[in-house]
Amino acid sequence: MASSHVAGDGRDAAAKQTRRSIWSGVLAGVGLVAFIDETVFHQLLHWHHFYDKSTLAVGLVSDGLFHAGGFIAMVAGLFLLADAHRRGGFVPKRWWGGLLLGAGGFQLYDGIVQHKLLGLHQIRYHVTIWPYDLTWNLIAFIMILAGVLLMKGQAGIARSSLLRSDARPAG
Amino acid sequence: MLELIPLALTLVALAGYGTGLHRLRRRGVRWPVTRVAAMLAGSLCTAAAVLPPIASRDELFPVHVGQHLLLGMAAPALLALSAPVTLALRTLPRRPQRILLRLLHSFPVAVLAAPATAVVLNLGGLYALYLTGLYQAAEHNDLVHAAVHVHMFLAGGLLSWAVIGIDPVRRRPGTWVRLPALIIAAAGHDTLAKLIYAWNLPAGGGPIASRHTGAELMYYGGTVIEVALAAVVMAQWYLVSGRALARTRRSSQSLGPQLPIALPSRRRGWAPLPLSHLGRISHGPRAGHKRHRRRNSPGGELREPVQANPEKLRPHPTPVSARVASVSPAER
Repeated sequence: MASSHVAGDGRDAAAKQTRRSIWSGVLAGVGLVAFIDETVFHQLLHWHHFYDKSTLAVGLVSDGLFHAGGFIAMVAGLFLLADAHRRGGFVPKRWWGGLLLGAGGFQLYDGIVQHKLLGLHQIRYHVTIWPYDLTWNLIAFIMILAGVLLMKGQAGIARSSLLRSDARPAG
Repeated sequence: MLELIPLALTLVALAGYGTGLHRLRRRGVRWPVTRVAAMLAGSLCTAAAVLPPIASRDELFPVHVGQHLLLGMAAPALLALSAPVTLALRTLPRRPQRILLRLLHSFPVAVLAAPATAVVLNLGGLYALYLTGLYQAAEHNDLVHAAVHVHMFLAGGLLSWAVIGIDPVRRRPGTWVRLPALIIAAAGHDTLAKLIYAWNLPAGGGPIASRHTGAELMYYGGTVIEVALAAVVMAQWYLVSGRALARTRRSSQSLGPQLPIALPSRRRGWAPLPLSHLGRISHGPRAGHKRHRRRNSPGGELREPVQANPEKLRPHPTPVSARVASVSPAER
């Protein structure tokens, strides 16, 4: 038995597990921001407007895509997370990294492209807007930074779940 | 009089489904109760959409939107989950069964059942209805009105059948085709709702406030149904890939140790797995599993259990004819 070959297999499998965890996190992150945006800013605070007269048509398309896509991404991300756990290959650090990257990336897109370039809606109306915009994009930037940090360095597979689901005897 | 036709059709469909269930039961074949529940709920949504008080007030735009959500989205999705074609294939007499089978295998059905077709028909119909004068025309002409509803229901049914359907079709696309198709359809739907709001559409939709309410209902109501559809797509993927995973685990457990020797370690990078684990999980080759060893892993090498590719596995990997053939003679 070529042990190097076996280790290579294991490494491939681990890379696959890691990718799964990352994608699960990214999807959940996009979904999370879409969800917070919808519930907190639209429904609870009423800061955002459903439609703002300065919106371009392409802004509405972008909004439709990210509104529907965000919620569906959340569903898909959570199922991928369940799948990673089931396979005993959940990599928490990478999942959180993916989540922060997805959330920060979407928030930055929302803050710069949708709010500013496409004029979808503003964060809040009848106030000085720039502190809101600054905070919004700063939070996005911090999330991306934290995500990048979590993507670096060693990351282990969640051991407990690995042993629990893979070491189960056949019958 | 025209209003009674959809109700009659719903009742006929229910009766047909009931007959099929009765035949299965007589043969002692089980049929999942969730499918029966889906059929009942779908029929209820259809009936609610075509009967008063909704149908009699659909000149109000928000009511019309409610009707659209029920008839074009909720009802088709539930009906697709009730597996009507599967039931028909299993319980129809031989000759109609053959015809249905040939129809299912035909080119037009393959085209219609493709997600792209369903998405285009759905969004095309919706955009035509609300962005052109079609909505106004439907308000004044009963026949156009009926045609709009029929198209709404059928196009919705096609989309549901393609995206979450469990009936055997010749080539059911994989999850990573069906989910993007759903996202495109959902995005198109939500975008249209905002366009309606932004441009004060549809023409003939009553007071502005009423149009706005309708558009918001379309946006949020649509989202709820779309998320539910996504959950169904992902749940189907989870179940199918879970079965594949269990299969791989069973076959690799009969081959000996199933974990890789080296695992990523939190502290030391790649660390060898303690031998105690291998001792606990390796059962050695079992009798009757040599077939797997030869086919799956030459030389009995360690086989990583996570390599099953769920995208390759469809809910119904066997062709329709084979499945029906395998079922019918025994039940007949």
